[in-house]
Amino acid sequence: MNVLKSEWLKLVSVRTTWALLAAMILIEGLAAGLVTELGDIDDLRRRDISTLIIGTHLAIVFMFTLGALLSTNEFRHGTANSTFVVTPKRERVIAAKLAVGLVVGAVGALLYIAVNAGLGLSILSNRGVAVDAHDAVNGYVGVGVGLVLGCLFGVALGALLRNQILTIVVGMVIFLLAGTAALFIGNDVGKYFPGESLLALQATPGVEKTLLSQTNGGLLLGAYCVVLGIAGMIFTRQREIT
Amino acid sequence: MAEITVERLTKRYGETLAVDDLSFTVEAGRVTGFLGPNGSGKSTTLRALLGLIRPTSGRALVMGKPFHELRNPVRSVGASLDAADVHPGRSGRGHLRTLAAAAGLPNSRVDEVLDMTELTPARDRRVKGYSMGMRQRLALAAALLGDPKILMLDEPANGLDPQGMRWLRDILVALAAEGRAVLISSHVLSEVEQTVDSVVVIGAGRLVMQGTLAELIRGDRRPALVRSPQAEELRELLEGEGASVTVDGRPDAMLVHHASLEQIGTLAAAHGIPIFELTHEVSTLEDRFLELTGEGGNVR
Repeated sequence: MNVLKSEWLKLVSVRTTWALLAAMILIEGLAAGLVTELGDIDDLRRRDISTLIIGTHLAIVFMFTLGALLSTNEFRHGTANSTFVVTPKRERVIAAKLAVGLVVGAVGALLYIAVNAGLGLSILSNRGVAVDAHDAVNGYVGVGVGLVLGCLFGVALGALLRNQILTIVVGMVIFLLAGTAALFIGNDVGKYFPGESLLALQATPGVEKTLLSQTNGGLLLGAYCVVLGIAGMIFTRQREIT
Repeated sequence: MAEITVERLTKRYGETLAVDDLSFTVEAGRVTGFLGPNGSGKSTTLRALLGLIRPTSGRALVMGKPFHELRNPVRSVGASLDAADVHPGRSGRGHLRTLAAAAGLPNSRVDEVLDMTELTPARDRRVKGYSMGMRQRLALAAALLGDPKILMLDEPANGLDPQGMRWLRDILVALAAEGRAVLISSHVLSEVEQTVDSVVVIGAGRLVMQGTLAELIRGDRRPALVRSPQAEELRELLEGEGASVTVDGRPDAMLVHHASLEQIGTLAAAHGIPIFELTHEVSTLEDRFLELTGEGGNVR
């Protein structure tokens, strides 16, 4: 519990955390508002919930970055020295960071859904566009889980790579270029990539033909987080802090 | 039992030998200076003691155990490796609270160490606005959080102004007087010569000498500068005692090798020769330190 409290304090005691969360909410709110307010009525009806979650990848990048900072700030600012002197069992520190990542990911997901659904669905309703309730719940659950896993992915990858810039660049490639992997290596293999798993998790109508199912996409992305998290713990324990 | 024991410690990074078969001990109740030029292996040794790196061979023990085997590391050892190792966006108090939380210490202890290090007025300022001296104080505050038995500080005087140096000296001497073992590294002897009781001098990763400050001074082999109106007579006497003498350019001055200041003064007094000046050519320990460590020649 001590390490968990310490990691939580590290997260909330820097402005970057609040800035990233605020930027995500602002951008997602604007995106949801503008797309639903300015979009063509027929197009909005045809696209259903996928209109609203169109900006999810950007939100994932914010949450991934937040998670990555949790791990890589230790090495970027040299605080790993004092952290691992106070807590020599280093795997505990990484486990605590993953737990904090889980919580902040959930908070980010709830904020995202509240802003996106609150703003977007009310505008769509005002414009007379009905959204299928089942699709909406499915979509938001998928996005919420995706945001949480995106944050965890950042913590785990950061623990593994240590270097802040490298971690964020790798994360951008994985999540922002999602959907392109299949173009190069085919759907049979490409659908198992983390970015493609995230797309599957959003359950956008039509994509299930080329991607995994929503549940399988979520499970696969979760498995990536677990494997990376365990690898991050092992590497952090084994590597030297120089 | 020594509080810190380094036993035949060797650390190699690829082809680079950072620490080479180094052995020394640090006792409680003393301030021990860990001295050597930049790159001589001081920080590597401290990291090995703190369990941050693994020795290639040998042992680095704290209270007789490897660091990771200590039951309560924060109460045993307080350490600062670099005053810059703080998130610049966090306040001084925020930084200390993260460490206190991890160690299970109350926030009141954070306020105590902030007081001890005279940082209370700046506690809520973000660290990026701290001067180097304030960062050094914050690093010491962090090291003191657990009220540890052993303090290890890497270059704690770096960047301190004269007032800060005096403050550091007073607090370290007081902490040692409470029975703690204090190990401070420095590459500048003059920074710590008024603070330390003992010294461990290393160069190129190897032990050069370990002993008290007095022993370090006693080993001084720099020539003595002697001025006397009977310089020629004193010269003959000194050479007769096995010293070698070179002239200084002035008629009443000479440089004397292989004789201590005490030997020269005693000899002159025994023969009624007046002495106007008797000192080492440049009278600082720095030269002795440079002589021992190779004047930077051992720096990798």
